[in-house]
Amino acid sequence: MILSRRKFVVGAAALAAGASVSVPFFLPKYHSDRRAKRSRVAILNVEQYSQRIDEVLASGLRLFRINVQGKTVILKPNLVDYILGTAINTHPTLVLAAAESFRRMGAKCVIVAEGPGHQRDTELVLSESGYRDSLRDQAINFVDLNRDELVRMQLRASYMGMKNLWLPRTVLGADFLVSMPKIKAHHWAGVTLSMKNMLGVVPGARYGWPKNILHWKGIQESILDVCATIPVHFVIADGIIAMEGNGPLNGTARPLGKIVLADDPVAADATCARLMGFEPDRIVHIREGAKFLGNLSLAVIDQAGEDPKPPTTPFRVVPEFRHLYAL
Amino acid sequence: MERFRIKSAAVKSDGVTLNSVLAELSRRQLPAGGWAALRSSVLASLESTCLTTLAIGSDDSEEARLAQEFLVRVQNPNGSWPAFFGDDQDGAWVTSLAAIALRDVATAIPARLSGIHWLMKCQGREANWFWRWKFLTADRHVRFDPDKFGWPWVPDTCSWVVPTAFAILAFSQLPCSCGGLEDVPLRVDLGIEMLMDRACPGGGWNAGNGVVYGSTVAPHPDDTAIALLALNNRTQHPVVQASLEWLERTAPTLTAPWSLAWAILALAAHDRAVGPLITSLLGLPDLSGNADTCTLALVCLAADCDRALASLGVKL
Repeated sequence: MILSRRKFVVGAAALAAGASVSVPFFLPKYHSDRRAKRSRVAILNVEQYSQRIDEVLASGLRLFRINVQGKTVILKPNLVDYILGTAINTHPTLVLAAAESFRRMGAKCVIVAEGPGHQRDTELVLSESGYRDSLRDQAINFVDLNRDELVRMQLRASYMGMKNLWLPRTVLGADFLVSMPKIKAHHWAGVTLSMKNMLGVVPGARYGWPKNILHWKGIQESILDVCATIPVHFVIADGIIAMEGNGPLNGTARPLGKIVLADDPVAADATCARLMGFEPDRIVHIREGAKFLGNLSLAVIDQAGEDPKPPTTPFRVVPEFRHLYAL
Repeated sequence: MERFRIKSAAVKSDGVTLNSVLAELSRRQLPAGGWAALRSSVLASLESTCLTTLAIGSDDSEEARLAQEFLVRVQNPNGSWPAFFGDDQDGAWVTSLAAIALRDVATAIPARLSGIHWLMKCQGREANWFWRWKFLTADRHVRFDPDKFGWPWVPDTCSWVVPTAFAILAFSQLPCSCGGLEDVPLRVDLGIEMLMDRACPGGGWNAGNGVVYGSTVAPHPDDTAIALLALNNRTQHPVVQASLEWLERTAPTLTAPWSLAWAILALAAHDRAVGPLITSLLGLPDLSGNADTCTLALVCLAADCDRALASLGVKL
């Protein structure tokens, strides 16, 4: 076969065009692999919010090699809104217990920081949900991430197709960031766990209330890009009273009686998902996060405390997420 | 602080509190003329700057002049305003607030007009036929009528209650609908329909989701109040009546100054008694120590609500 110069040029151009279209689908969308060889998770049994949480949490944290000596620790709870009698938010008792533990471990400074996604009046959420007085009594600073000073950050993953996000200086300056989600079913994301909880750092004063740009770019994709850009160093998940059904606001309380601790957000979320009766690899951001943010497989998770046994009855979810149920 | 005219009897009895809040606002002004969102920050935020400009009044004080010049200086070339100094995108709600804050500044008329023209072009994403069709057919978990759209917080997102209400207030201050602004009444009417559509079933508003997956979502005091300000000439509408009743019941229970201040302004706009609420607001502990600059500005506006409502374009 004789290949003319014209055919060669046309063929090469077609090949280049094909490659430019298809290659992006095969390239990883993350910049670096942050997975540890092994991750550690502890499930603690706690039936109710009481002073006893202090001791349980302190002994749970001793199961990990945590060094916060002289560091700034940011606790990022899940504070969305306040509706009387519902289990929407991470309970303040757990957040205070965590602050006290990290102070005893030598942290230079412990700050509680959150940017509620639904309610503009952060002070109202804080006061109604019992945070305002507790934080003041314990002399713990709170930073409203919706209104904090912002820094333009290049995203370290490209799932949602944005190159940059404006993010709060307080979070970017953390030496040790602890994601403290309420374990919940979520009608758009499937679950609210430690990774989804990180969307609270996206500032409302730049992106609005709700942070609607993230819905348009894809919630699962946004979670991955934010978690790739702001590393979560530790997880303390509130599953003492969890939420099932139409979360994050209108679900029903589901007593689970667990606190989940982990040194890896993917391992934490996979464990929480198992406790909810879900297959973690059916949750898009957990499955994709397991490629570069942390470990999903039980084979590389060192389990302390209780085993992650699925419940007799899985958490209720909206119909779109019934595929999450473990068989 | 003499330039801040105190009218309400409740305020006169606690002028000390108000003066300390105004002095704190004055201290927080950045050298460039704007105000940051938080006391600890040096990054000028447009919402803080606009609300504080309204709070300190439009007289010839150095602070007001600096603030107005700052607002004109940071306007984007396309007529919109950014959410904060150095931002790289347009913010619809701050564009409305800037247009309101510059209302009485003669030298800012061109800036204000170009902001208004930008607002006319800005619309919620559901205004596009494709997304409207999607929301009518495939994506029906949030109950709303996508034919009724208003303004988003930032471009390329849906319409929401607060930016729509601010835009309606900004347009209501225009002396006429002329010079390329002939469609303003149509957009305002559509925005009002959108607000009515997004109300919570029992009255009041939250961000804009009244019913999701069949469940009623609770209203918020501040969102309700801001919507009611924009609907100040629709007092008899059943949605407005139900929302006013909800806000009137809720306001006395509020201890957060931001929500309480907005509630005072909205109730006053609909001719409800607010004296006791102003007393409660100014009696809240350590108001001037509040880190949030917008909250301080709102406290001042609520304490002198007649003047504030005039500044916001709400006709009494």
